Amino acid sequence: MSDLAIQVNSVHKSYRMGRSDLHVLRGLSLSVAKGEFASIVGASGSGKSTLLHIIGLLDRTDRGEVILDGVKARNLSAGQRNRIRCNDVGFVFQFYHLLGELSVLENVLLPAKVNTPALSWPDRRKEARDHAKELIGRLGLADRMKHRPGELSGGERQRVAIARALANQPKILLADEPTGNLDSKSGRSIMEVLKAYHSDYGQTVLMVTHDMSLAEGTDRVLHLTDGRLGK
Amino acid sequence: MYKLFLCFRYLRSRVIAYFAMLAVALCVAMMLIVISVMNGFLDKIENAAKGLYGDIVVASNLRGIGRYDEFIEELTEQVPQVEAASPFIFAYGLLSIPGQDYRQILQVAGIRLPERAKVTDFEDGLFTQRGLSEPTFDPPVSLLRQRLEEHNRQLQDIYRRESSLSEKDGPLAPEKQYFLTRLDRAWLLQIEAEGFLLSAQPHQQKLAHLQRELATAEADAKGQYSQQAVVLAEQLDELIEQAKYQPPDKRAILGLGIPGLIIRTEKGETVRYIVPGHQVVLSIMPLGRSLSSTDIPTSVTRLTVVDDCRTDVSSIDSGICYVPFETLQSLNNMDAEYSADDPDRQITPPRCSQIHIKVRDADSHGERLLEVNRMVQSLWQDFLQRYPDAVAPGVDVTIETWRQMQAKVIGPIQQQRTLVVIMFGIISLVSVVLIFVIFYTIVVQKTRDVGVLKAIGASSAGVAQIFLAWGAAVGLVGSILGCIGGYYFVKYINPIQDTMDRWFGFRVWSREWFLFEKIPNTVDPTTAVNIMIAAVLAGLAGAAIPAIRAARMQPVEALRYE
Repeated sequence: MSDLAIQVNSVHKSYRMGRSDLHVLRGLSLSVAKGEFASIVGASGSGKSTLLHIIGLLDRTDRGEVILDGVKARNLSAGQRNRIRCNDVGFVFQFYHLLGELSVLENVLLPAKVNTPALSWPDRRKEARDHAKELIGRLGLADRMKHRPGELSGGERQRVAIARALANQPKILLADEPTGNLDSKSGRSIMEVLKAYHSDYGQTVLMVTHDMSLAEGTDRVLHLTDGRLGK
Repeated sequence: MYKLFLCFRYLRSRVIAYFAMLAVALCVAMMLIVISVMNGFLDKIENAAKGLYGDIVVASNLRGIGRYDEFIEELTEQVPQVEAASPFIFAYGLLSIPGQDYRQILQVAGIRLPERAKVTDFEDGLFTQRGLSEPTFDPPVSLLRQRLEEHNRQLQDIYRRESSLSEKDGPLAPEKQYFLTRLDRAWLLQIEAEGFLLSAQPHQQKLAHLQRELATAEADAKGQYSQQAVVLAEQLDELIEQAKYQPPDKRAILGLGIPGLIIRTEKGETVRYIVPGHQVVLSIMPLGRSLSSTDIPTSVTRLTVVDDCRTDVSSIDSGICYVPFETLQSLNNMDAEYSADDPDRQITPPRCSQIHIKVRDADSHGERLLEVNRMVQSLWQDFLQRYPDAVAPGVDVTIETWRQMQAKVIGPIQQQRTLVVIMFGIISLVSVVLIFVIFYTIVVQKTRDVGVLKAIGASSAGVAQIFLAWGAAVGLVGSILGCIGGYYFVKYINPIQDTMDRWFGFRVWSREWFLFEKIPNTVDPTTAVNIMIAAVLAGLAGAAIPAIRAARMQPVEALRYE
């Protein structure tokens, strides 16, 4: 079994922009060890989010290889990719992406519902709810369970998004500018939450940010420039 | 699990989906109303045709079918599927009322009672003898008086209601005044009929007895002079004059709705001018025998009305008068004809226009009835070889099921129904388009949700199922609401029309123009279920393309969507 949670080997990714191609990742390679909290820093448009999406199996490479916990992404079927996204990878987005029709508790329960067949849900329901409530409580939102995302502040929404990302206890947590849409106080609070979970559960965390001060608090900082990584 | 959960959550929180449901509900209600009314219309026509003709009809032209009793006997013995059969005469006549300037041309039907009740549902539509399984042309006068009293009470109730409404509204409108005057006239005629019945009651049995004796004497005389018959005829005439009531062979059952003989209230109630006890005069143009000259002498007879009958098809009820079979046979020159030289030699047997046959457990739409029809045809061919005088030379006899006989009436209505259903089906496609537009809009609005769902592991099929289930739910809820609405609209369609008429003076269904007294108001459960299934499929069809679009969305593109 590999000690690496994430391996990215010579990945290329470009987007069609009108008549020309925008080459975002140019043979990028990266390794993140299991239990490591790494951060990638780069300017806006440098391809940080693209890299994270490729690692999180939300997008595909043009060339190169992504290996998650020893499993090559290229060989995976659509169903296997879905299962990995559901069970092994948790995503925290810059703009939270909570479902507006659902309450805090329902948003956090959603990954468990996606992961459970309809007939098994009655057996699984209590355990999933208890786990979701515990997560929400630890994030300081116990009194906001029934609130809708629209009734929460930005920092609170991001906490809910983190709770949702952690709902299925993933091995890898990918955070895309988790504080990018928050004021500095809320941003620090979110970073503390991520660090606390990393230290408590030993999860692999890969965060991208353009804020160097936040990145410095992580185990390793990588710089993304011109589609390649440097220390 | 998440699919159903999100489907119901979106259903509850998206107001726009309620508009899709409303569109489906309106379309379902519209289809249900249209199909129910059209089917009801067709059912009424079919039931009326069956009620008039039975299941199979043996028919001839004006010259008629002889030896019908022998044929009916063979039919019931040799074709076990035949339950009963009865001869029938159709003729045309002029109805007039003694002492009144009234004339009406109508069809005259000669029927045998109570035999006819075994072949058709004739007894169901009777006024005086309603509920009696064996109706007759000689019902007890006491029963006639009882029904007359009931009719009188109804008349008084209507009068009180109409006159009190008029008082509230201030001065009487000319048409209201005219209506009350007509009610007055109906009431006076009622009193007159009650008087006739009162004088007839003690003589009813003697009238029947004398008539039977006279018939026997005349039969014995075989068209020759008979002193006994003359004496009996004189005695009978005296008794008729005294009783103001005709003997049983001179009775009539009028169709309910003959113009000028009834009044219809705005509520659809029927008030009769001519009621049991009144006398009418019937003039028949006798066409049942070949004529050597163009001068056709008219047969005139006076009849006492003993009942009225409705099939609920006003085109039938408003132009028919039922009289005893043998009476019309005689009036229409369809009775036996004897040689002038030899009174014992019958030249022509007594004849009828049609023979109506009732088939056991007849499946009106199936092969079974056609099979029995073929058996009747075969028996008739055989019968004709044995009794060549059963029809005059050159006279055609047709043997058809009631459906074949009424094909020219039923066929166009069926085509009309199909056309209307297609037209309204096309209109209902609007709801599919509406669902499509609404769902497409929703999917566009929910693009980021789709991205999030895929990011947390939802499959493309799962995402599509959310929107398909949503579409099916919109179809199902809309169709349930539409079915309930359509059902109650159809059920109360007549009161709704009456209310519209009262409030806005707007009447879609005029009793004067259409065939029926009332708009058909029954909903067939199978039709309702079929429409509901179609609505759910429409919901699925409308949601299919948006659902496929959502399923095909790449998670990254969906998350980046603005």
